[in-house]
Amino acid sequence: MAEKYVGKSIKRNEDRRLLTGNSTFIDDINLPGMLHVAIKRSDFAHAKINKIDVEKAKALPGVVAVYTAEDLGDYWRPGPLQVPPPSVIKGAIFNARPLECIAKHKIRFSGEPVAVVVAENRYIAEDALDLIDLDVEILPYVGDLEKTVAPDAPLIHEDLESNLAADVVQEVGSWEKAVAEADVVVKKRLLVNRVAGAALENRGIVVNWDSNLSLLTVWATTQGPIPMRNSIAKYLGLLENQVRLINPAIGGGFGPKIMSSQIDDVVIPWIAMKLKRPVKWIEDRRENFLATTSERDQLHYAEIALKKDGTILGVKDIFYHNTGAYNPYGMTVPLNTQAHTVSNYRVPNFLTEIKMVFTNQMVVTPVRGAGRPQGVFVMERLLDAAADELGMDKAEIRRINLLQPEDFPLRTGIIGQDFVEGVLDSGNYPYALEQTYEKIEYEKFKKEIQPKARAEGKYKGIGITMFTEGTAVGPYEGCKVLVGVTGKVSVVTAYSNQGQGHYTTFAQIAADNLGVKVTDVDVVTGDSGQWSWGVGAFASRGITLVGTAIHNASLKVREKALNLASKLLETPVDELEMEDGVVRVADMPEKFISLGDLAMRSNPTRGTVEPGMEPGLEAASYYGPPHGATGFGCLAMIVDVDPETGKIKIDRLVVTDDCGQPVNPMVVDGQLHGGLQMGIGEAFYENLVYDDYGQLVTASFMDYLFPQATDMPDKFEIIHSQTKSPLNPLGIKGVGEAGAIAPPACMMQAFEDALGLKDMFITESSINPSKLYHYVQKAKSA
Amino acid sequence: MKIEGTHVFNGPREDVWEMFYDPNVLASALPGAQKMEMVNEDEFKFDMNVRVGPVSGAFSGELQLENVVKPDSLTLKGGGKGAPGFLNGVGNIKFKEQEDGTTLMEYEGEVNIGGALASVGQRMIDSVAKSMIRTGFETLDKALVARLAAKESGSEVVDFKAPTEAQFAKEVAKDMVKMDNLSAETKLIFYIVPVIAVIILLAVILNSCGA
Repeated sequence: MAEKYVGKSIKRNEDRRLLTGNSTFIDDINLPGMLHVAIKRSDFAHAKINKIDVEKAKALPGVVAVYTAEDLGDYWRPGPLQVPPPSVIKGAIFNARPLECIAKHKIRFSGEPVAVVVAENRYIAEDALDLIDLDVEILPYVGDLEKTVAPDAPLIHEDLESNLAADVVQEVGSWEKAVAEADVVVKKRLLVNRVAGAALENRGIVVNWDSNLSLLTVWATTQGPIPMRNSIAKYLGLLENQVRLINPAIGGGFGPKIMSSQIDDVVIPWIAMKLKRPVKWIEDRRENFLATTSERDQLHYAEIALKKDGTILGVKDIFYHNTGAYNPYGMTVPLNTQAHTVSNYRVPNFLTEIKMVFTNQMVVTPVRGAGRPQGVFVMERLLDAAADELGMDKAEIRRINLLQPEDFPLRTGIIGQDFVEGVLDSGNYPYALEQTYEKIEYEKFKKEIQPKARAEGKYKGIGITMFTEGTAVGPYEGCKVLVGVTGKVSVVTAYSNQGQGHYTTFAQIAADNLGVKVTDVDVVTGDSGQWSWGVGAFASRGITLVGTAIHNASLKVREKALNLASKLLETPVDELEMEDGVVRVADMPEKFISLGDLAMRSNPTRGTVEPGMEPGLEAASYYGPPHGATGFGCLAMIVDVDPETGKIKIDRLVVTDDCGQPVNPMVVDGQLHGGLQMGIGEAFYENLVYDDYGQLVTASFMDYLFPQATDMPDKFEIIHSQTKSPLNPLGIKGVGEAGAIAPPACMMQAFEDALGLKDMFITESSINPSKLYHYVQKAKSA
Repeated sequence: MKIEGTHVFNGPREDVWEMFYDPNVLASALPGAQKMEMVNEDEFKFDMNVRVGPVSGAFSGELQLENVVKPDSLTLKGGGKGAPGFLNGVGNIKFKEQEDGTTLMEYEGEVNIGGALASVGQRMIDSVAKSMIRTGFETLDKALVARLAAKESGSEVVDFKAPTEAQFAKEVAKDMVKMDNLSAETKLIFYIVPVIAVIILLAVILNSCGA
């Protein structure tokens, strides 16, 4: 039996190409006669458009055209919604206001596009932006999550009665009953800050219209190639196969690149067809901050009811969720928050309400974590507050309330982002807690290290928090697997890759089933010209959904190859083996046929075939789970707070993560590293800040502080737990967002522990050196 | 952004108020101003060029004066827009006679800035604005001294030479260094926003007197 690849940390197939600079990213695509686009964006956060004067811009030499919403005529339309309303939830209110690709009558956030300049080069296009005169009537700005739904708030969408975008209540058991039985109820008002996806590569699109072939080729950095292809085709009146949408190499996605029905995918293909010339738009960093979607920004009024011994009786969480100026992505983020709030613990009574509100800010759509960190932050902070109230240890209060292995599968009663009732498919939460607890030497830290440090004037603290990660939701993904005439294997999917390692992990699955080397498997992602079906890269679903489809398709190909070989070798299938790129008779190794020869023979050129015969060593497969697979873990950190500067150092970070069967543990580690860095950034560095007039004041990397490698702990100590998902044959769960979920909750607990102040309780998911310094001063005088 | 403060001019209130009659004085304190004209009573239009750090472009706007009590106080409202963004503001200015013969100017206002002006480093604006305003006032102080000297000697020639835009920027940078240890480069980047704030503040004072 040959060595299996699944479960092995093998080096990535794509790295040679990437590291030698031989990948093609969006801005590397240059076509003869290509025009360049720059987008005029509103400086105003809320305004009525009186007139947009583009005449001076049009007159600038080198400018080919300038378009506003008026020029688009009937082609201009809002939306459509990218995620449908949550009508499956009883009593849900949802006021759909899809994105406007370009503002027509009204501006609803600063950065909203108002005009497009097309020019011979980007320099001229940018210069022309300055010549566009935007005449507006400025309207009052609304940005506060509570004030925006006050009766006197200015309306962002005048046809609505208020700025309430949605209201969804879900209840399991009875919160009232929990309160009646409780010894103690703890209440907290908790804030979660707003952060950017901030992919290293910004967004971009290049479009070429070939009127002879009636073929529109679109290169785009989208995370959802097929939905974008379909939307472009529909509105331009083309068939699906007349639009070829290709993902070039993409430098990070993190969620915001899933968005479509924006100015780039709506207007730029239209321009390319109208002008019959290739057109390119590359987003710059300031545009990315201003007008690419971002996330978090919730305000929670949360309560927890407990018995004296720390047993949880119930949780109530009423929260405001900022959706920004529109709600094109439905309720994915706040539903994820609801689904992740109590998912680690036995909580018999749970009441949760989303009040999603419109504000004059950039639209909120998922950023790695996508609502999960908010839910986990709320629950973990409530537990910390309850532990303080009851005089309990932070690890102990978690330990006694954790769901136990025998509780799974567990129906949660909460409908999630995929519109099905949550089912926690499998897990071993106590294992994750205890592994982490032991590895970080929790007791030793508390008893020895911390008191010793304190005696030396050092402030060191420990935090320990649980998290779950709902992953791998439906509806489906698909792929095509082919053994080629060279004997090499082709895996083709329209799933989008932004650096997740798919060229390796997908190949590992196919290689195992087809008995070839992993380097002999070529993976194509995100090319609708090669594979026409799929949904998109979100919810940490790639490896589970596409991976399972590849597993199933490659098994079908295996069967085809064995059947054909059985005829040619005149040997029954069960006496054949498929290894080293050949099919051979198990006990007569010299009797074999190569996969390449089989592929050639699988397409007969004369003679007749049997009914139902399918040519080629090729098979397609689709996979859609009944519900998502839930990963989980435990994160612990020891932090050191510098009392002189308020700066911090993470002494140790231990995480136990369970994503079922890891296809490539090294790739899983990479996902955890990146996620943890994002979570640490959110807790201590990154913050999107709007001023009192709706101006984003953190629209550059000078003001938006990114954590550096030097801000990270020396080592991420990772423990892999493996509870295989019963939902798919390989037992896989996703892991793309796991690292980003728990750091804010964990770090706040650690800071409080470090300073050891009575009554110190951090209510925000983000803190900074000056705030910490303030606490240090209090600690010193205490 | 809130702007407020006081400045003592070393001269009688009437002379201070009168100083603002002279458009050359304004230009001296406010680099970048191209044009300032009255379109109606107490209503003005201005054009200026802005070219500092990463933000540059033409900027034009309108101002209105309200509650003008000469030579005591006034309220200004206005704003402008251009490639660097936009600015709207309301401000109140008072001139008070002091017992020692000097004039105390009190100003307070709120300025709302948008576009690149806001998104390129707004957190720096408060401190830079203060330096800008101080430097502007120092220029005006010199102008006032020269005017008073000319008045005393009966000369028609005022011995005052306006600083160039570069000199002005240098003075601001020097003032900033006194305040803290920020790099000069950082200061120059953020210099533009307060320039506009000061221009509008002082332009209005000048033109209200001119009117």
